[in-house]
Amino acid sequence: MTKGKKFGMYLFLCIVSFISVFPLYWMVSAATNKSADVVSGRLVPGTYFFENWKNLMASQDVGGAFVNSFKYAAILTLVSLVISSLAGYGFEIYHDKAKDAVMSIILLAMMVPFVATMIPLFQMFSKAGWLNTTIAFILPTISTPFLIMMFRQSARSFPHDIMEAARIDGLSEIRIFFQMFIPTMRSTYAAAMTITFMNAWNNYLWPKVIMTDATSQTMPMVVANLTQGYVTDYGMLMLAVLICTLPTAIVFFCLQNAFAEGITGAVK
Amino acid sequence: MKRKILAALLASTMVLSLAGCGGSAETPAAPAGDNGAAAEEAPAAEEAPAAEEAPAAEEAAGGDETLTVWCWDPAFNLNAMYEAEKVYQKDHPNFKLNVVETPWEDIQTKVTTAATSGDLSTLPDIFLMQDNAFQKNVISFPDVCMDLTGSGIDFSQFAAGKTAYSVIDGKNYGVPFDNGAVVACYRTDYLEQAGLTIDDFTDITFDQYLENGKKVLEATGKPLISMQAGECDLIMMMMQSAGSSLFNEDGTANIVGNETLKVVMETYKTLKDSGVLIEVNSWDEYISSMVSGNVAGTINGCWIMASIQTAEDQSGKWALTNMPSLVGAANATNYSNNGGSSWAVTTKCANPTLACDFLASTFAGSTELYDNILPSGALATWAPAGDSNAYGTPNDFFGGDAVSAKIVDFSTKVPTNITGVYYYEGRDAVATAITNYINGSDIDTEMQTAADTVNFLMGQ
Repeated sequence: MTKGKKFGMYLFLCIVSFISVFPLYWMVSAATNKSADVVSGRLVPGTYFFENWKNLMASQDVGGAFVNSFKYAAILTLVSLVISSLAGYGFEIYHDKAKDAVMSIILLAMMVPFVATMIPLFQMFSKAGWLNTTIAFILPTISTPFLIMMFRQSARSFPHDIMEAARIDGLSEIRIFFQMFIPTMRSTYAAAMTITFMNAWNNYLWPKVIMTDATSQTMPMVVANLTQGYVTDYGMLMLAVLICTLPTAIVFFCLQNAFAEGITGAVK
Repeated sequence: MKRKILAALLASTMVLSLAGCGGSAETPAAPAGDNGAAAEEAPAAEEAPAAEEAPAAEEAAGGDETLTVWCWDPAFNLNAMYEAEKVYQKDHPNFKLNVVETPWEDIQTKVTTAATSGDLSTLPDIFLMQDNAFQKNVISFPDVCMDLTGSGIDFSQFAAGKTAYSVIDGKNYGVPFDNGAVVACYRTDYLEQAGLTIDDFTDITFDQYLENGKKVLEATGKPLISMQAGECDLIMMMMQSAGSSLFNEDGTANIVGNETLKVVMETYKTLKDSGVLIEVNSWDEYISSMVSGNVAGTINGCWIMASIQTAEDQSGKWALTNMPSLVGAANATNYSNNGGSSWAVTTKCANPTLACDFLASTFAGSTELYDNILPSGALATWAPAGDSNAYGTPNDFFGGDAVSAKIVDFSTKVPTNITGVYYYEGRDAVATAITNYINGSDIDTEMQTAADTVNFLMGQ
């Protein structure tokens, strides 16, 4: 590559990185500014952070919502990883024609939008008396076609020779899954965990419909509450957005190497 | 054997861990545990409304005098409800409110979900509804809102233009609350540079507004008004100021042949072409244009004052008056309405007598309540409140003018408007028409297209 070409490429990458990072920077800097300054386009960080913090804490139950969001997202991630990976593993390792047909039906379900099933789901949960409970939050998305497909694809690269060897050594099928498959597929699990956690954390429509109690609110609901007034306090809003973004950002940064590997389907 | 035991152990561990998840999933339903956790995590939030509501929620099952309310905006609507609670508690010490902060769009989603699924049990006792959506919801979901006619609430003391939003087939379904009377606000320092005063903008027509606007533009380089492109707030305000609606009493579209709409569209285009009106791309930009001093004024529902007043450095530089009237439209006035909301009582309400009595003695019967909520910017549409001394207090931001009393006076003069079921669809169609018309399309063709779109959506 010539020097000129290299320079051009770096320039292009710099511009693209700037475009992607700028909104994040602006979110952080706006969280430290007064609403009027944010509106008038002030870009440099200000000294209004503690005021925004105080106002936010006084107007919304951020702590409660944060705990709720974290609890719902963590439980959903854990349970759905176990269920979807078992399903994906089963579909690939023990596959036959009938199971492949079932798999295609599951994939078809990916095309049904959530809003189409929301009202029947609401009726079911309401009749079961599960409104305002964690179980209502996690159950509709406890196993998603996407995750099953992802685990099925990665199980394809799981070496069958190892399995045979394990079977000869007397390892039961369930232990092969827990002791051989899970450790080998760490990166897939990390990728699936990131995706599930983010989706669960950002989930808005369903929790909004089933969580009617003020004490069951989640973080996205708190952010939505802040945009409702006749006057929007943008500094406070950006602070809430910042708090809401942190957990997903932390999960992503911790798992980003594994995430990239998991998406590309690497096996170590 | 050993292997089998191990396998069984592993399997049972998994089942247990799953069951454990399920168990812990259900425990939070007990409010005490949940509140405890929330309180521990957020000691700073002890005074937050949500924390206050928690005990009320616990007693909801046992206590007879607790009402659940859904509304949005803590500084405004929630604050008003808490103040109303205090006023009502003086005579009813056991009375309690459980206010759940819920954005308007979510209230709409929840009401739609509950009504279409036939399970109204999730609805609260009282909820706040946007005036523009009131007729739509009552007509589309007749089971949701309770008929409040004859419930002891005196609707005659509210401005007629306001109650009309929540009257369907002659029955009252809502208690008017938030005032949306239109005000015109101007930067007096900019007007001065053009040799004008606020009096030159009071009781004027849009022709005079245009002439004055040109002078201001020449002297200061600032347009008189900014509006969000693709939204037709101003169009609707202008229409209503002449008592015209997009729909007829029988629900049919009133777009083709609506002379007032035509005059409104032409006036809007003239303002836009002259540079007196500029269009901006978003709501945030609209607010920014005023707060940053890029425009010399605005015309909007009186709630816009709260946003203008965030620019503390501009205190004393603003003045408020009524909006210009249309030229060439029958029944043109200087008064209109934009936005606002009313309280609805649901049919699910276990204690309708209490709910009605609460509303009758507070929002429809207490000057004390309206005086208490005035500092938050909540203005009454209940006529007796306007006579109270608090409403006569001068507002320094608006040059020492008694703006509150002025706005209550405006609100009594607002012509009525028919919103119907398809109000939002009608608005969208007209917004498209105005955008195309500004870009050079023929006005009659655009009005016809808008009418066709609305008729198509209405299935006619």
